[in-house]
Amino acid sequence: MAIDQHGGTAGIDDNVLMNGAAVDRGRGRGMSRRALLGAAALAAPLGLAACGSSGSGPSAESTAVTGAAAKGGTMRIARPPASAAESLDPASSLSAYEYLGTLYNRLVKQAEDGSVLPDLATSWESSADSVTWTFTLREGVKFHNGNAFTSADAAYTLAHILDPKIQSPQAGVLSPFLSTSGISTPDAKTLVVKLSSPNAEFVSLLMNYNCYLIPEDSSSTIGTTGIGTGPFRLKSFVPAGQGTVLANSDYFGGAPVLDAIQFTAIADIQARVDALLAGQVDLIAQTNIDYATSKTVTASSIATTATVKNAEWYVLPMLTTASPFTDVNVREAFKIAYQPQDLLDLAVYGRGTVANNNPVVSSDANYLDYQVTPDPDKAKSLLKAAGLGSPMQQLYTSTYDAVLTPLALAYQSSVKNAGINISIQTASADSYYTDVWMTKPFCVSYWYTGRPIDQLLNQIFRAGSSYNETSWSDAQFSALLDDARKESDAAKRKVYYQDAQKILVDSSGSIVPFFADRTTGLSKKVVNYKEYGFEFDYLHIGFKA
Amino acid sequence: MLLVKAIGRRLGYSVLTVLLATLLVFVALQALPGNLATQLLGQNATPAAVAQLDASLGLNRPAWQRYLDWLGGALHGDFGRSLVSQQPVLTEAGGYLRNTALLAGIVIVAGITLSLVLGVIAGLTRDRWPDLAISGLSLLGMSVPEFTVATLLVLAFAIRLNWFPAVVTAGPTATVGELLPAVWLPAAALTAVMAAYIIRMMRTSVIDVMSAEYVTLARVRGLSSARVLFRHALPNALLPTLNVIAINIAWLVGGVVVVESVFNYPGIGTLMIQAVHNRDLPVLQFIAVFGALTFVVCNLLADLAALWLNPRLRTPGRAG
Repeated sequence: MAIDQHGGTAGIDDNVLMNGAAVDRGRGRGMSRRALLGAAALAAPLGLAACGSSGSGPSAESTAVTGAAAKGGTMRIARPPASAAESLDPASSLSAYEYLGTLYNRLVKQAEDGSVLPDLATSWESSADSVTWTFTLREGVKFHNGNAFTSADAAYTLAHILDPKIQSPQAGVLSPFLSTSGISTPDAKTLVVKLSSPNAEFVSLLMNYNCYLIPEDSSSTIGTTGIGTGPFRLKSFVPAGQGTVLANSDYFGGAPVLDAIQFTAIADIQARVDALLAGQVDLIAQTNIDYATSKTVTASSIATTATVKNAEWYVLPMLTTASPFTDVNVREAFKIAYQPQDLLDLAVYGRGTVANNNPVVSSDANYLDYQVTPDPDKAKSLLKAAGLGSPMQQLYTSTYDAVLTPLALAYQSSVKNAGINISIQTASADSYYTDVWMTKPFCVSYWYTGRPIDQLLNQIFRAGSSYNETSWSDAQFSALLDDARKESDAAKRKVYYQDAQKILVDSSGSIVPFFADRTTGLSKKVVNYKEYGFEFDYLHIGFKA
Repeated sequence: MLLVKAIGRRLGYSVLTVLLATLLVFVALQALPGNLATQLLGQNATPAAVAQLDASLGLNRPAWQRYLDWLGGALHGDFGRSLVSQQPVLTEAGGYLRNTALLAGIVIVAGITLSLVLGVIAGLTRDRWPDLAISGLSLLGMSVPEFTVATLLVLAFAIRLNWFPAVVTAGPTATVGELLPAVWLPAAALTAVMAAYIIRMMRTSVIDVMSAEYVTLARVRGLSSARVLFRHALPNALLPTLNVIAINIAWLVGGVVVVESVFNYPGIGTLMIQAVHNRDLPVLQFIAVFGALTFVVCNLLADLAALWLNPRLRTPGRAG
């Protein structure tokens, strides 16, 4: 999912797609409705859980099935709508995310270990200074309208992403070193990109879900036509309504198992779960089911759950430009004052992994296993030295995500031992990401896991990025990221990234207590469901034979 | 003549009510934090981006000018375009209105009729078991929040018994055929919540009327129970209930947001919530006009029905 929160709309002129906030945090509208229902969201799952569990023990664990799939069938997937005017343009912040993986391909995609895999680019190489990148493109690939895929389409897509009228979230990531003048296509199967400054990790940035490839000259129509090279072709699409995609038997990766997928937009989370339990849908996409509801789902006769490990990381960003977090010692105090395991157990029932204030997931090749030991006494003395004694600090939360408030409460009770008094302020979920996030000094938030290291560190932590949620500015950190970009040897790059992580853990404004698993609801008939990061395997998913 | 004057005056007040409603909605929306531009741009609401969007949508004109422009258009039937989807508001809202009409229609025809009948039965069998059962159940329906009733209905009839679908999957462009199987549970939820007021109102008036002197006189004069009930008692008993019914109809048509949300029913309540979230003013103004009009018309019809049922009200000041 994208980086920022959903809000927004699209389609002012034909292709002036204004940037609400992108998709990362699940779907704004669905959550706001949940906030509206408030008690309902809490009461209803408890009611259902009470009826559903019938003493059959605490097995809320998933039974994601793999195995032989029957050829064919139409899978019905419920999804949260991105917006009342969502579109099929992958570069837009209002893209209907779930459709993108069915309709389009990118140049490259992500493997489960985080490395870069070929998709429409079969191979790539860079000049020694990591400035000029040459991609060899797959031949014989056709768009759904029969036109051949060539380098012109790839070049056009990159220009489309950078187009200021489109306001793509990925434009902010790429534009510091990429502009349309650097893109050239010497022949139909070669794409050459010349950056304005070196970036050895450039290819990893093209895995982003805003980077799906569209046909040349389709910028104004792609939002409704959805013409791509993907395993499915668009049959119908109603924004915030129902849509259908049909199998593309000419897909270069082989025909998909399913005949068709029908997407239904359901804004309310409980309604989505009800649809699954009543057999109206086979899978709930981009929905993290909370603990109580997951027990109901596993106890039902037709549905079960699947777990995507460490799918989200939760963060309490401290705004480093606001008091008291301008002092790095105060930030350290807040970071070592709490017990991560307690927060993990309280907020998500232990379903996840402790993170120790490092937002890089342990499976990443560049991960640094560096701990800062929780130490409430040291926190106390740090605060006293900073002149704060027993501080009272406001912490903002909302019902935007089910975990935010439990996490805030868990943090509040955990830091009491360090003499820190937290007073929790509940803000409206509707405007949480416009009024609270990046505005108030201290709040709770989350991101989806799956960004490659260059994207993660530069986009969320580096000074100058519009998504730098703590407004943290550290010259040494930025310099290390630039050094990493200039370094063509992967092992040496890793050293730079690890040094950067150490600075991040020690002095940034981000408290990262844990990575949480995502629990997806699906029918017991579904086999080969596989999802990690921002990748969903639409090719092999199917129904039990 | 007097009647015409009375109706004319009522119509005048109705128009004023609708106008005031639109003005209130407009003012309220201005008072909300953020405007359309910040809501659309969210995180990327830099001052430059906001200014650009404001200009392109005409949001940088003064508030009173925007309101008058809208009003001018509305009087000609042009409610403008949705700021979100750029579709004409009438087109956009049309589908949602039709879906709400379907749901409201079913609840009005089946639910209100049922409530009236139950109310009469309860009134006629006061303190005996039918009355106790009906009154007890209606009290329960009144006290339990509508989302709880809705969720319990889904659990029982959609998930356990599988008689009805749990949610509407077809979206705002659903046809009537697609909505019909899914409309019964929301209708039941709405009826459960609404029935209590009508039942209790009807019960009280039936009890009152049945103990009135003219009913006793009619009985004494040998009229059959049925004739006494239907010709003399019920029309009078219905009078106080008419306003309750009118308010409930207006509520049904104006958008039952919570129930629509639980069932994913694409009605006008759903559109309203979307529009508020997006600060989509033209759509909200249209919904305000529609809601106010509905309320005013329902009340007008209730008054006309009262006039029809009670001839004494036709001449002013002599209702005794």
